[in-house]
Amino acid sequence: MLFSRRLMLGLAMAGTMAGALAFPALAGEGPTEIDLFFPVPVDGKLARDMGTLIKEFNDGHPDIKATAVYTGSYDDTLIKTRAAIKAGKPPSAVIMSANFLLDMQIENELTNLDALIKADGTTKEQFLGQFFPALQGNAVINRSVYGVPFHNSTPLLYINADKAKEAGLDPNKPPQTWADLTDWAKKLTKREGDKVTQWGLEIPCAYDYCGWMMETLTMSNGGRYYNEEFGGEVYYDTPSMLGALTWWNDLVTKHKVHPPGATPGPAVSTAFISGNAAMMMLSTGSLTYVRDNAKFAYKVAFIPRNVRNAVPIGGASLIVPAGLEADKQKAAWTLIKWMTSPEKSGWWSRATGYFAPNMAAYKTPDMIDFLNKNPDAKTAVEQLDIAKPWFATYKTVPVRKNLEDEVMLVLNGKKQPKEALAAAQKAADETLKPYNAETSLKLP
Amino acid sequence: MSLAEPAALPVATSAAPRLDVLKRLTTRFKASLPAYLLLLPSLVFLALFTYGAMGRVFVDALYQRATPKAPLHFVGLDNISAVLADSAFTGAVVNNLIYAVGTAIPSIGLALLFALALSRTNAVSSALRAALFLPVLIPMVAASALFMFIFLPNVGLLDYYIGRLLPVLPNWLGDPDIALYAIMIITIWKNAGYYMLFFLAGLQAVPEDVMEAAHLDGAGPYMRLRHIILPELKPTFLFVTVIAILNAVTQVDHVFVMTQGGPSNSTNLVLFYIYQQAVEHYDVGKASAATLLTLAALMGLTALSFRTMATREGGP
Repeated sequence: MLFSRRLMLGLAMAGTMAGALAFPALAGEGPTEIDLFFPVPVDGKLARDMGTLIKEFNDGHPDIKATAVYTGSYDDTLIKTRAAIKAGKPPSAVIMSANFLLDMQIENELTNLDALIKADGTTKEQFLGQFFPALQGNAVINRSVYGVPFHNSTPLLYINADKAKEAGLDPNKPPQTWADLTDWAKKLTKREGDKVTQWGLEIPCAYDYCGWMMETLTMSNGGRYYNEEFGGEVYYDTPSMLGALTWWNDLVTKHKVHPPGATPGPAVSTAFISGNAAMMMLSTGSLTYVRDNAKFAYKVAFIPRNVRNAVPIGGASLIVPAGLEADKQKAAWTLIKWMTSPEKSGWWSRATGYFAPNMAAYKTPDMIDFLNKNPDAKTAVEQLDIAKPWFATYKTVPVRKNLEDEVMLVLNGKKQPKEALAAAQKAADETLKPYNAETSLKLP
Repeated sequence: MSLAEPAALPVATSAAPRLDVLKRLTTRFKASLPAYLLLLPSLVFLALFTYGAMGRVFVDALYQRATPKAPLHFVGLDNISAVLADSAFTGAVVNNLIYAVGTAIPSIGLALLFALALSRTNAVSSALRAALFLPVLIPMVAASALFMFIFLPNVGLLDYYIGRLLPVLPNWLGDPDIALYAIMIITIWKNAGYYMLFFLAGLQAVPEDVMEAAHLDGAGPYMRLRHIILPELKPTFLFVTVIAILNAVTQVDHVFVMTQGGPSNSTNLVLFYIYQQAVEHYDVGKASAATLLTLAALMGLTALSFRTMATREGGP
C-alpha cells in the first residue's frame, strides 16, 4: 500500500509537471502574446497612461495579449530594440523616435508595412491620408510605409503671461519675429547688479534636444538641416544655420538674456515652472506637464521667424521590427491600428500634450470639447501647417552629435559659431562617408 | 654483470617514480575532486558569461564592414588603430585618467580621515560610521537622479545656497570645464564611506603592544601615525587604490544618467565611449577593439597589484 501511495504521489507530481510543461503549448492556442516597447521622452506621467491604454486594448481583444515594456528615452529605445533584434527576439511593435526610421531601414531592421495595408483592402494613399501631411515625410521611405505616426510634437514658445504683463508686454500678442523675441527676452530679464535673477528666454540643449532646436532655428531662418530626399547629406556649414547659431549665441553673450552653457530639457521646464525663466522653447509634448504644474497664467505661441515660419516635427511613430512571426506581425498591426484610431489618438493626445497625428481625432466630440477648454493645445495643431519632417540621415544620432558637441562649445563661449559649424560639417561628412560610398559616390 | 648492475638500477629507480607520479596525480585529483566539483558551477558561469563573452569580443574586434550594406570582412588590427586614432577615444582616456586620480586620492584621503576619527567603537562613532556608509547603499542611478536636482542650474539645491555667494551661477553639468568635476564629487561622496570600512579593518590589525611601546617612548599622535599606523596600513592602501582605480573605469552609471558624456564630450569616459560606439554608431568592431584595449589595461593593473601583494605576503 505504502509503495502504491508513493507511486500515486509520484504520478501526481509527474502529472503536475507535465501540465506545467504543456502549458506553453496550450498558450499558443490562446492569445497571441506581443510586446510593445515604449519610451518616455518628456515630462509627465506617460508610463501610467500607457498602462491604461494597453489594458483597454487587451480587454477589447481577447485573442491578443499585449504587454507594454518601458524602455527609457528615445535613444535607449533604439538601443534596446536593436539588442532585441540581434538576440533574435524582436518586440512586436515599438514607439520609435520618428527620425530613427531611415537609419533602421538602411540597416534592414524594419518591416515594410505596405503588405499589411494592402491586406486590409486599403491603398497606401488612403492609409496615409488619415494623418497630417507634415508627418508623412518621416513615415515613408522610398515610397513604402515603414511607420505609423503615433504621437507627434512641434517646438513651441512658452510664455509666462503674468511676467509678460508685469513687464508691460501683451501676452495675447506674442512675438512674431526673432527681433520681437529678442526684445521681449531683454524686457523679461531681471538683474540684481551683474547677477541675473530671471532669464528672459531658455532654449534646451542636451543630446537629442539640442539638434532638434538647431533644426527649429535653422528652419525659421529659411534653411534646411539635411537633405530630405537622401540620407547622406547635412547642411551644417550654411548661412542659414550660421545665422541661427549666431543668434542663439548672441542671446547668451551679447544680450545676456539666456543662461550660458548647455541646459537639458527638464532643467529648462523646471526653470520655467519655478519662474526662473520667463519664456522657453520646448516641445508640445511638455504642454500637459506645464498645464498641470504652472502656478501662473501661461501662453503658447508659434516659434518666431527670422526668414519664414517653419518648424520640424518631433515625436514618434509605431514600427514593426523585421524578423517577426506572421501571427505576431498581424497582432501588432491590430494594436497599431487601434492605437492610432481617432478615439485613442485623441485620448493619448489629451493625456500627454502631444498632438494626435490622426486628423479625424480632432472631429471627435471629446477633442472638440477639450480644445475649447484648452486653447493652448490648438496652437500646437495649427503650427502643423508650417511643419516639415524631422532630420533623419544614415546614423542619425552620431551625425546629430557631431553638431551638438560644437553647439555646446559655442554656448559655453569656447568657440565662435563659424568655426564650430565648419568643424561640425567636417565631422558629419566623415560619419556619413560609408553611406555615400555605396550610394551617391558609387559610380559606374 | 658489473655493467648490467648499474644499468638496471636507473631503470628500476626511474620506473618507480613515474608510476609514483601518475599515482600521486590521480590520488591528488581524487582528493581535490570535491573542490573541482564545488568550483564547477562558478566555472561554468564564468565560461558562459565572462570568458565566452571575452572571446566573442576578441573575434568581433577583428571584423568590420566597409559600407552599411557590405558584409563583414576580416580587417586584423585596423579596428584597434581606428580607435587609437579617434580623438573621442583619446579624449575619453584623458578624462578617465583625470577622473581616476581625482576620485581615488580624495576619497581614499577622506576614508582614512574618517577611519582614524571613528576607529574607537562607541555609540556616537557607530552612528557616524553608519551615516558615512549610507551613500554606499544608495544605487548609483538613484544618487545621480538626486544630484541632478542638486546641480540644477539656478533653481537646484546647490545654487539655492551657493547662489547667494557667487556673482555668476555656474551651470554645473552644462559647462565643459566644470561637468567632469561635478561628476567626480558624486563618486567621492559615494565611495569614501566604502573605503572607510577597509581602513577601519586595517586599523584593527595595528598591533596594540607596538602602539603602547611608542606611547611609553613619548611618541606623539603624529609620530605614531607617521611611523606606526601608516606603515601598518600599507597593504590596505594598496588594495583600496586598486579598487578605486577599477571603480573609476567600471562605474559610469552617473555619466549615463546625468550627462551622456557631454557637454562636448567633456565627461566622456572610456566605458561610455565603448557604449557609444556599440549602440549609437552601431559599430561593433570599434566597440570591441576599445573593449580589448580597456581589458588589457585593467588586466595589467590587476596583475601588477597581485604581484605587489604577493611579494608583500612572501616577504618578512
